Amino acid sequence: MRYRDVRKRNESAWLLPADHRRTNQALREGMRTFGDDDEVDLVVVGCGAGGSTLMQRLARHGWRIVGIDAGPFWDPEADWVSDEAGSHKLYWTEPRTIGGGDPVPLGSNNSGRGVGGSMIHYAGYAPRFHPSDFKELTNEGVGADWPIDYADLQPYYEAIEEELPVAGQPWPWGVPHRYPQSPHPVGGNGEVFQRGALAAGIEARVGPVAISNGRFGHRSHCIYRGFCLQGCKVNAKASPLITHLPDAIEHGVEIRPDTMVSRIGFDERTGLATGVHYLRNGREHFQKARMVAVAGYSIETPRLLLNSANDRFPNGMLNDFDLVGRYLMVQGAPQTAARFDSEIRMYKAPPPEVSTEQFYETDPSKPYKRGFSIQTVSPLPITWAEHVAAQGHWGRELRERMSDYVHWACLGALCEFLPLAENRITLSEEKDRHGLPVAHMSYSQCDNDKMLVDAATTVMSEILSAAGGTDVITIKRYAHLVGGARMGATERDGVVDRECRAFAVPNIVIPDGSVFPTQGSANPALSIMANAARVADALATRPMPSATEVPAGAAA
Amino acid sequence: MSGGQAPEDRFPTFRVLAQAPAWDAATRELVLSRVRPPHPPVYLNGHEFATATALVGQLLDLDDELAAHLAASIDHRLTEDETDGWHYDDMPVDHDVWRQVLAGLDDDARQRNGTTFVELPAAEQHALLHALHTSQDERWHDLNRGHTWDLLLRYTCTAYYAHPAAWDEMGWPGPAYPRGYKNIGIDAREPFEQEDRVPSADPTKDRDDE
Repeated sequence: MRYRDVRKRNESAWLLPADHRRTNQALREGMRTFGDDDEVDLVVVGCGAGGSTLMQRLARHGWRIVGIDAGPFWDPEADWVSDEAGSHKLYWTEPRTIGGGDPVPLGSNNSGRGVGGSMIHYAGYAPRFHPSDFKELTNEGVGADWPIDYADLQPYYEAIEEELPVAGQPWPWGVPHRYPQSPHPVGGNGEVFQRGALAAGIEARVGPVAISNGRFGHRSHCIYRGFCLQGCKVNAKASPLITHLPDAIEHGVEIRPDTMVSRIGFDERTGLATGVHYLRNGREHFQKARMVAVAGYSIETPRLLLNSANDRFPNGMLNDFDLVGRYLMVQGAPQTAARFDSEIRMYKAPPPEVSTEQFYETDPSKPYKRGFSIQTVSPLPITWAEHVAAQGHWGRELRERMSDYVHWACLGALCEFLPLAENRITLSEEKDRHGLPVAHMSYSQCDNDKMLVDAATTVMSEILSAAGGTDVITIKRYAHLVGGARMGATERDGVVDRECRAFAVPNIVIPDGSVFPTQGSANPALSIMANAARVADALATRPMPSATEVPAGAAA
Repeated sequence: MSGGQAPEDRFPTFRVLAQAPAWDAATRELVLSRVRPPHPPVYLNGHEFATATALVGQLLDLDDELAAHLAASIDHRLTEDETDGWHYDDMPVDHDVWRQVLAGLDDDARQRNGTTFVELPAAEQHALLHALHTSQDERWHDLNRGHTWDLLLRYTCTAYYAHPAAWDEMGWPGPAYPRGYKNIGIDAREPFEQEDRVPSADPTKDRDDE
């Protein structure tokens, strides 16, 4: 990687202060601002992985852009703490309800709030999808086909891996590739994984993590303090707050934080979106825009579309074929831990250290399709208490086991759950503090999903036992979100087309993870950013829908 | 009843707060606020707060003073509606669950002994909660029993394992910015970390004969 080339296309890391202040206040204070009546080229709802990457790319093409986020514009030094409970505000803690056969807890598990999105609190794993993820229905009879291939994303994977940047050993799985930075040293938990995998005959690699191994621009080296999930105060772990938004602002983007978009404006005469209605400081506003990007992720994107019902779309915006909110996916993410007489102290070093994708692809000898990945995870005390409490302990017994913390190592799996129509977001009867209906998320696992969780748990136990661990315990849980507004070849397969433009309203684009038809067993952040960069290139080449593209029904 | 290693024995002289000068200002202020005398409860009334204190004390076998501290932090969350961002669709919102639970514990106590939960002897409180935890019933009063137990333990553990007293007994040094760690790896320690005094005292093993 040549830093000079990265800097030429994305100067973010060089726009940050080179000292402990972490935030370029002058850049933010001098930020360009737009009035509600300025018809901007693009208004983006949600400043996370997808929305921020899209803004950075299009700002460099001269687009006039406003990015809106429901949460704060974080200052890592002042706002974030090196503390688990104190990081509660990083999560989406506005109300949501969950149900179905296998309800999925939200909040700290998978939902961010604030500029930078969920990447503020993700662990930092940045693997790519495999080519097989894009053609599962054709090749394996499960899941869905994407309207794009791995090759469409590959150049964007390479570009984003340099911009984050990603550190890790050369990667042998999927399409083999190398990483721009060398692997980080590993702590006790990573050593256990490496030792156990070697003994069990399983291939493991260090990385891939979007944590700079060395100074990158004005960003500091990782200090191995283990608080990746609490927001990186060091500016070592990548998030759009430091990897794409500084450059976006430098190129004229306005970020409007603490602002809740309530509804997308729509003109029935033209069949086009007109901007967004939003609430700020208790007052309603309307931002005019030539194009609207909905990037609220897999729960808030469908919620906003459903809350934007109008005469043309009585069942929710873009919902002509009852696809909005459906085919939502989480990954099965059981975590298995074991005890060692040695002190592992898994809280030291970043939780993301070592991983394997040896079980990612379908194994014809197994009764299930698709697979799972295994990674180190290193729960801090409050999260570790969930593991212990899940075994049924409480009272003195729970505290005794908790005081044994330094002796435990913990691995986590990501199991590829299949897209199912009934796993979906709908609107609840319950309202939030703005009076907007909140999201209800229904989730149930299919048999294939359950078999994957069991298989992954078995492999994790094997690795830990092979490393010398005893007293293996497992907690069943979930991670990540994708789907809910998927892309498809036709309007009957997807809410958006291969360029992530809505079939029904051609000036609405969805550049976030909700467009993914399948998810592999990879953490989604890198793929969301790479796809958003791809969408941006398509928009820059073909910015406005021509009149002939406006759906015929819209003019009637 | 307890066959494991007492939590106080592993790191008897380890005190996380001794490291407070090495922490960043935002984190230090937050953690120190947790060891100051708590504010009086706002959401819970006096009797509810006393019941919550007894409940928290039982759930983690803590003395009254620390339990009241944790109950106050739970009261603060309920006052501010600081939830975890979701609730089961068969459960009320969290602050209503807590109020119903505290009333339900009194109902159960009256049935058992004709007193409130707080007035029960500690062993009886424990027995009552043990019955709630191990019951095969799907419902407990008007609530989903399993979801209710999980919620109570989740709030209580979140409060306790955010407190330096809990970190001391785990040998976990807490906040780590801007210092970070230099000695990572198995059996590697920083100068400010302490060795476990009883490394082979596996609490899971000690219970096998229970």
